[in-house]
Amino acid sequence: MYQLELNKAIEQIKESKAKTVCIQLPDGLKSKSKEIVDELESKTKATVLIWLGSNFGSCDIPLGLERLKVDFLICWGHNQFHKKEEGW
Amino acid sequence: MKTLFLDAPYAGLVELSPETLDYLIKKGYKKVGLYASVQFVNRLEEIKKQLERNKIKALTSRPDRAHVESQLLGCNVHGLNLEGDVDCYLYVGDGKFHPLALVYSQKKGQKEVVCDDPLSRKMSLLSREKVKTTLKKYKSFLMKFLTAKIVGIIITLKPGQEHYAFSQKLKEKYPDKRFYYFIDNNISFEQLENFPFVDVWVNTACPRIALEEQDKFLKGVINLNDALNANEVLAGF
Repeated sequence: MYQLELNKAIEQIKESKAKTVCIQLPDGLKSKSKEIVDELESKTKATVLIWLGSNFGSCDIPLGLERLKVDFLICWGHNQFHKKEEGW
Repeated sequence: MKTLFLDAPYAGLVELSPETLDYLIKKGYKKVGLYASVQFVNRLEEIKKQLERNKIKALTSRPDRAHVESQLLGCNVHGLNLEGDVDCYLYVGDGKFHPLALVYSQKKGQKEVVCDDPLSRKMSLLSREKVKTTLKKYKSFLMKFLTAKIVGIIITLKPGQEHYAFSQKLKEKYPDKRFYYFIDNNISFEQLENFPFVDVWVNTACPRIALEEQDKFLKGVINLNDALNANEVLAGF
């Protein structure tokens, strides 16, 4: 029903030579995470981790991923967020 | 860190259901404010043609924080940036979270929000009536804030949601109040009652938290931008 655009993800993981990828999904797509990890790990050399927590929007990016040497984050269901410094 | 956003666009047909189109015609709406969630926003061409064929003009804008024109975010409770008056809003997408932003973005002179769900091919309507209990409580929290002596400001660390610097303006605006800052990653609602000295909370993260999650704040909660203009916002209720 919703296109996961896995080809784009694979292409960019290869291009960036990422070693550890984290994927972040909104609740409605979290059940697709197995399919996504299996596909990305079979088509690239990266290890793929799943963000368990929230994904309310592109304002809601996981913190601290560097500690696990994550070098590429892929967020589904949102596009770029243009923060306003003067609040909401 | 390199970050890739994938919209997860909807793969099916995106056009207005006969029910939605009939409703817009029956109501005599001539100008609609057209918005969609990111999954549908690049697929609005057919809907624009349907509206045109029925002499309904679609007006739109790029709301604050959105990446493309017509894209509606749940946080668009202010800053739609729509120029020109519309008869109603037309939202294309599933769920109620995003289109409710169109309800909250309006104060007096409420326009109906007509929602067309391309998945179910069904129409639904939203108005201020749907959220009147929430707004009533919010108004009481605004009044509470104005008389509160000790205010807890909640700052979340996620870069897109963190507004620590901007929240400093509260101290300038209300020199007689004592402000304490509370830092978290996601708001730990269950921790709020461990700080009983707080009279009322100010939320600086997503503004929908102070609306949909207001029952989790026993002392009451309002959003930062409303706190900075509490008297003006109250007058708008």
